[in-house]
Amino acid sequence: MNFLVAVFSQTWRSLVKSWRSQVLSLVTITLSILIFTFFYLVYNNALQFGNRLDNDLRLIVYLDEEPDQTLQQEYRHKIEKFDKVERIEFVSKLEAYDRFKGQLDDSQDVLKDIPKDFLPSSIEIYPRRSLESLSKIKEFSAYLENLPGVLKVQYGREWVERFNSFIQLLQVVVFLSGGLLIMTTTFMIGHSIRLTVFSRKNELELLRLVGASNSYIRVPFFLEGALLGLLGSAAGMAALYILFRWIRAAFAETAAQGMFSFSFFDTPTAAMIIVLSVLLCAGGSFVSIRKILSV
Amino acid sequence: MSGEEKRLTMIDLARVSKTFPPDVHALADVSLRIRRGEMIFLTGQSGAGKTTLLRMLCGIDRPDKGYIEIAGSDLSRISDNELQKLRRRIGVAYQDFKLLPDKTVAQNIAYSMEVSYRSRQFIISRTKQLLTELGLMDKLDALAGKLSRGEQQRVSIARAVANEPELILADEPTGNLDAETAGLVMQLFRRCNEEGVTLLIATHDQAIYDYPGSKIVRIENGRLAIQKPPVIAKQGEGRA
Repeated sequence: MNFLVAVFSQTWRSLVKSWRSQVLSLVTITLSILIFTFFYLVYNNALQFGNRLDNDLRLIVYLDEEPDQTLQQEYRHKIEKFDKVERIEFVSKLEAYDRFKGQLDDSQDVLKDIPKDFLPSSIEIYPRRSLESLSKIKEFSAYLENLPGVLKVQYGREWVERFNSFIQLLQVVVFLSGGLLIMTTTFMIGHSIRLTVFSRKNELELLRLVGASNSYIRVPFFLEGALLGLLGSAAGMAALYILFRWIRAAFAETAAQGMFSFSFFDTPTAAMIIVLSVLLCAGGSFVSIRKILSV
Repeated sequence: MSGEEKRLTMIDLARVSKTFPPDVHALADVSLRIRRGEMIFLTGQSGAGKTTLLRMLCGIDRPDKGYIEIAGSDLSRISDNELQKLRRRIGVAYQDFKLLPDKTVAQNIAYSMEVSYRSRQFIISRTKQLLTELGLMDKLDALAGKLSRGEQQRVSIARAVANEPELILADEPTGNLDAETAGLVMQLFRRCNEEGVTLLIATHDQAIYDYPGSKIVRIENGRLAIQKPPVIAKQGEGRA
């Protein structure tokens, strides 16, 4: 009998002996994983939503004078110095007039006696469609307002700020639910190990007396924790997937669904969550067993 | 002690003392040397200190004073890992058996072999062989908790012998046995001894050690009192 066979057989015996407490731990881990992954999924989708923002999100920088080619280059250089942007468009006074005229349709007569250069020239800046860029948009606006020749900077300030607040709130919720996951998982693993140790007290004492090595005693608990982590996270992810399918089916016809496409984790992310849960549970049981048995 | 003598020594105790609170002197200044391959009977009345001595020899208790060496390993300096390795080379039949009542007889015996990673085949055949020798083959799959005291005692002895240890420590191994089954146990011990195993048997059952040529160490009130023959054990400073 080699080491692996021996510890696997020990693990099996231990699971059989303390299955009630194991089931309780499994349910707790599953629920913790479900709560955490639910918020993480919402957060993840909100990030993707931020990345899919349409072209309406732009900063319009009104200038007091029409910039020549040299000045345009200088503006372009200063803008890109702050942050990389998707594109920059310069709108001359005449182009602004033509656009405005086009928007008036049948009421273009009102412009009859007005000079064609009455609108200020502007720079339209399209920031990168990432959350990082969006979160800096307020600072970006302040930076642009301080550039020479700038009259005013305009953007969907209220919308962006609300979106940012929502993302920040989600970040806090994800962080808290992650903390909750770590706490409940380690507590339940520790509790489960304590119960197992208590129920196998005489057996563990006997193992020490007949010369079982520390690894022989410790590894089965470690495997037990890892197995609980694997089963708990897999069950939690499965429950989340069912919930996700239900939400998608229930809101398929709504307008919100049209602009907000709700997607599940990709395979690497789901695998990473499971691997981290396994490591967390195995680590928790390892620490607990060292603490309880001093082996 | 010369290198050769050290190699031949299985147990070496020098001025070992142990006191339990408040002031029970379980062992006082005990010195004893047992060579490899010897079978020694440790006799004395209940409470004389026999069990304390055996518990210290397998590292469960530590002496307050003195020095214990088993198979060349100084128990006071041995690491936890080394102690566990040493325990795999020592078979102990405890006075209270230390059986797991909710495990079968076979499972109880298997523990001592599993920790040494013996093959499944070896464990099964060795368990059956020992149970046959001790007249318990029909109890192979019985729960240890359902056995009589005498049967439990034999299971405990089988577990002590199972892993083919170099040293067997037996605490009152025939205390719950009738003369016939005690004979089976002694037969097993003698066979082990003939195969080179060192045995230290703590007993007050005169019937098992009262034969010509038996080697006896008597302990009284925690002190070595009589040794027969005297060459194997010495008291206090007069240690060999």
